[in-house]
Amino acid sequence: MTGAYRACRPPLAGGLAFLRHRSRGRVVLCALCLLVAASAHALAQDEAVASGERLYAKYCSNCHGDDLQNNSGVAFDLRRLKADEHARFVNSVLHGKNAMPSWQGVLAPAQLDDLWAYIRAHAYEQ
Amino acid sequence: MKSVLFATLLVAACPLTAFGQTANDLLNAEHTPQNVLTYGMSYSQQRFSPLTQINRQTVKRLVPAWSYSMNNNTGEESQPLVYNGVVYITSQNKTVAVDALTGKAIWNTPIDYPSDTTRVVCCGIVNRGAAIYDGKVFRTTLDARVIALDMKTGKQIWSVKSGDAKDGIAMTGAPLIADGVLMVGMAGAEYGSRGYVEAYDPNDGRRLWRHYTVPRPGEPGADSWPDHAANASGGSSWTTGAFDPALDLVYWGIGNPAPWNALLRRGDDLYTNSILALRPKTGEVVWYFQTSPNDPFDHDNITSIILADLTIDGRPAKVLLQAGRNGFYYVLDRKTGELIAANPYVKVTWASGVDKETGRPKWTETTKKAIAYTDQIETWPHITGGTNWYPSSFDPRTATAYVNTTDYGMKYQPDPVEEIKNLKPGDAYRGVKITPIYNADGMRGHLRAIDPLTGKSKWAIPFKSPNWAGTLVTAGGLVFTGELTGEFIAVDSDTGKILWQFQTPSGIIGQPVTWEHDGKQYVTVASGTGGVYVLKTPDPNLAHVPPGGTLWTFKLMDE
Repeated sequence: MTGAYRACRPPLAGGLAFLRHRSRGRVVLCALCLLVAASAHALAQDEAVASGERLYAKYCSNCHGDDLQNNSGVAFDLRRLKADEHARFVNSVLHGKNAMPSWQGVLAPAQLDDLWAYIRAHAYEQ
Repeated sequence: MKSVLFATLLVAACPLTAFGQTANDLLNAEHTPQNVLTYGMSYSQQRFSPLTQINRQTVKRLVPAWSYSMNNNTGEESQPLVYNGVVYITSQNKTVAVDALTGKAIWNTPIDYPSDTTRVVCCGIVNRGAAIYDGKVFRTTLDARVIALDMKTGKQIWSVKSGDAKDGIAMTGAPLIADGVLMVGMAGAEYGSRGYVEAYDPNDGRRLWRHYTVPRPGEPGADSWPDHAANASGGSSWTTGAFDPALDLVYWGIGNPAPWNALLRRGDDLYTNSILALRPKTGEVVWYFQTSPNDPFDHDNITSIILADLTIDGRPAKVLLQAGRNGFYYVLDRKTGELIAANPYVKVTWASGVDKETGRPKWTETTKKAIAYTDQIETWPHITGGTNWYPSSFDPRTATAYVNTTDYGMKYQPDPVEEIKNLKPGDAYRGVKITPIYNADGMRGHLRAIDPLTGKSKWAIPFKSPNWAGTLVTAGGLVFTGELTGEFIAVDSDTGKILWQFQTPSGIIGQPVTWEHDGKQYVTVASGTGGVYVLKTPDPNLAHVPPGGTLWTFKLMDE
């Protein structure tokens, strides 16, 4: 992935002028590289969201509601979590909060990332 | 001096008179409606009161006498007990004694538990009530302890550890005092625990016996788990049994097998989804009746058990009644466990009926598919059942049961065996995908007046969200229950007409009781939303119901 980005990197000294002096084929190749990279990133993201959804159903939905839909504030509505609240999320999951248990030792860091991806994909505020 | 000595001797001889109650008090609970001495309001668990001051005519004057904050946001499912002017009630985080006339706390004893405890609490961070006996208040805790408190001070007298979260075990149910022993059940089938019912000496917390509800190889019932008796799990016991002192039998509802997905557990899976008739002193099982063998649908047979005397074909019959979670209303001979009737009381499609001779359900083709393949099927009722843990009541004068029902089905699909074959206690033991199927009219529940012998409703009131509260019926012709949107309601027991309602601050998932003091009748109920439906099931009708526990007592306003 890193290699693909490097191949497309424009020569800084020439600025945008390089577009005029390089072949059209090189431009198309760069565009394709970016597209593939973006697609791969999206795919990885989709996989994280899907994994997070499975983990959510197993560990979280009993209290936070099926499909993140929470009725009455007995448990926190996770869709309220904002992009900059990752640390708050991790802290609550690892250490528990009010009646929520600690999940330290049960959920691995990568699983927390997947859960976060799933929650953020359905957050009220993107 | 002589009189002082006499008084001292008298106090020494009867140290618990003021704050105790005896085995005889418990036996006579249904004839002493001024108090509420047991879970279910008597050993028969009929939740029927002969009190009539609050009735169809006077209920319009019913007003709050007081309310008390439970300082708890996780849900109030507890049934209050009332003894000599004091209300005793539990929540997940405390036990409280409140002056029944003023609503002021007498004592308040907090409950603490380790932060990993609720990892294995599937269905609401709650407690359902206490037992009182011989000067003590007994209860269970989420971290599976059984404790005894001094009724007068709230101080802990003893605490014993029954189970462990790492084995998938929690406790939420109210204990039962029967024949001098303290019986408790446990929760945890959703986490692969091995279920049991057990008994303690109320005096010192010494365990007297434990009866496991699923066998190990070589034990009775093991051949009903042909695929893996060694790891048989489920069969939790998370509600409270009824007691027939004359037969010396306690009837305890036993829950679902684990995991829900049945692909790896063929056979009847005894003694899951059964009623056990146990000797309270020894734990000996005298008979059992299984409602849903080899169950893939979480038809957890823990709904309330009511003991009643019916006239059947002109002959008196001592029966046990249960609105089964599987949608059939069961009537059994409570001496023998023999089936008398089993008829659907809600829409049922998983079985076409129950065989009268064997008591076994007649599976439909879709159910056969759900047990053997990973195809998606549609079936009624939902895993929530025709009803759930919240107790129903029974009016012995009219032989009518008052049941809050849930009325929806589900799309059900078992996960492939790879998803469930390596589960270990503490993991989520479900392995199925479920989507609710709601009725087109948008009504997910009813309060029903049911004839136990036919299962038919004499009347039914629809509700957008299913009621998750117990019912109480009185000789005043009223049925009390609560709505998830917070209304505490009184319904005409003959017609189903709502005669009175009061909006409490949160949803009601508690159990109403009624009692009397100095010639005045009171009704007490806890408000405070929570429980598995509210937590788990998306319901737009509940979007604006705030959490928050309060205990309410009502009385008639003077004319």
